[in-house]
Amino acid sequence: MIADWMKPAERLKAYTEGRPIDRLPCVPIVGNTAARVIGVKVSELRNNGRLLAKAQVAAYHRFGYDGIRIFTDLYAQAEAMGAQVRCPLDETAYLESPAISNIAQIDALRPVDPLKAGVLPEHLDAIARTLEAVGKEAPVTGALTAPFTNASFLIGTENLVRLTLKKPQAVHRLCEVSLETSLRYAEAMLRIGCAPSLTDPMSSSTLISPRQFREFSLPYLKRLIDSIHSHGKPITLHICGKTHPVWELMADTGADCLSIDNEASLSEAKAKVGNRVRLMGNVPPAAVMLQGSCDEVRSAVRECVSQAHNSPRGYIVASGCSLPTETPFANIDAMMNAVREIGYPVNLSGPVDGNAP
Amino acid sequence: MANLSNAEIFGRLSDAVVDMDEEITVRLAVQSIKLGIEAYETIDKGLVNGMMRAGDLFEKEEYFIPELLLCSDAMYAGLSELRPYLKKEAGAVKSRVVIGVIEGDTHDIGKNLVKIMLETSGFEVIDLGRDISPRSFTDEAARAGAQIIALSTLMTTTMDGMAEVIRILEHDKTRDLRRVIVGGSAVSSAFAKRIGADGYAPNASDAVRLVKGLTGGTPG
Repeated sequence: MIADWMKPAERLKAYTEGRPIDRLPCVPIVGNTAARVIGVKVSELRNNGRLLAKAQVAAYHRFGYDGIRIFTDLYAQAEAMGAQVRCPLDETAYLESPAISNIAQIDALRPVDPLKAGVLPEHLDAIARTLEAVGKEAPVTGALTAPFTNASFLIGTENLVRLTLKKPQAVHRLCEVSLETSLRYAEAMLRIGCAPSLTDPMSSSTLISPRQFREFSLPYLKRLIDSIHSHGKPITLHICGKTHPVWELMADTGADCLSIDNEASLSEAKAKVGNRVRLMGNVPPAAVMLQGSCDEVRSAVRECVSQAHNSPRGYIVASGCSLPTETPFANIDAMMNAVREIGYPVNLSGPVDGNAP
Repeated sequence: MANLSNAEIFGRLSDAVVDMDEEITVRLAVQSIKLGIEAYETIDKGLVNGMMRAGDLFEKEEYFIPELLLCSDAMYAGLSELRPYLKKEAGAVKSRVVIGVIEGDTHDIGKNLVKIMLETSGFEVIDLGRDISPRSFTDEAARAGAQIIALSTLMTTTMDGMAEVIRILEHDKTRDLRRVIVGGSAVSSAFAKRIGADGYAPNASDAVRLVKGLTGGTPG
């Protein structure tokens, strides 16, 4: 297999400036799979900045991808604000119960100090250590849960989506306090030189309508992204599931790059917003990366590249969502190798299936 | 509202469900009882009709999950007024479905929607909740005499539990008594086939079609 001859930061800069590169940037979104790289339990990473950084740096060295994202689960901010999180020994943490159960309790919620609350200080420590280790050669981001999604963890998702229709003002109060925590956490990341990357699964059109996105997601995303931009950092926004009804609104948030789930079409996204934002995505994380063969990974990468490589603001090959923890290393290697084989300028003339060199 | 015909009552009830108006739904349900209309007919032609229309709007992407949840709140509010007046039909045993989210996963909005739509279609649904062990699914299905076990998961990490349900049924020699269906964004029809499940549905409306197909078309 062809070796890379550029470092990720160098490649990304050259790509953005339209200079020659060795291959397209490629980001298999590695989360808790990093635990497997250094042979520790998933739960050991969550509240241990040193180990989390060690795992993420080791995973980056192991696979050679183009973006490191410090991430263990979506609940760090909600937990810091009072939600209960359950941490199975060797699986991704999940929400046990929201911070509050009714709107009367919203005013008791307080934005938190990210240097003190929950696992946030350890995640910031992991970010600092990762930057120290590889920050000069590779982009490092910190996962930030977007205000609306975090609000859903504060009061419960079903509760929140009912309230969007029944008590919109209460939802806005909740999103405000959720935003304030996000702003503070983003600020803390930026102070140590790291750009946040935003995840907002609950703003998906699989769940809420475009009208609700406009009312409850867009304004808070916009304020958060404006604040991050004032520090001169670019930002990627990921929303899971169906997003085609809100691509234009996602671009309106000011995000520089939209990360698209495999339930959405890259070629349609390119046609609609490719001239406004960079796109990344959308190799299926479960059906292909977790369960597929190396050949299937290669075909899926080639399909994505053929759809989006000529997107006006650029394209980053990526998984459609965070990779499942048990994604085989061979499939992550196959994803990187497929991108190396295609090279740059993009050449898809290789054999259509199988026999990757 | 005293002079409304039965058909008008049903139409308004259906509209009230579609309009997510719990209060009017309850008022019309009470009205129908006072008028002596058969509770079953009011449920079927009013409440269920409204919920079906809401389901259609959901499929057309005019309604989303928040709207569907509020429609179902209205439907259930009306239902709880009417239920005491339902005549017990001798020998009419509904097909039963045991539903739940597999162990390790706590996302249950999708499962709740499937439950609502199955109940709307006349199935008796036993909801085990979320984070349910494979053994609980098979035990509860045996206890309830359920024909269908419906398994949901959003997370790829929990898919093994679905295969385990089928292994337990085979081990207990009860595989031919139950139909196992899977759903949720982590799974696919290829996955369903691989673990030997009887079907896969990508959304709540398809789940209803699937269950109807597997139970011979009628819930009752």
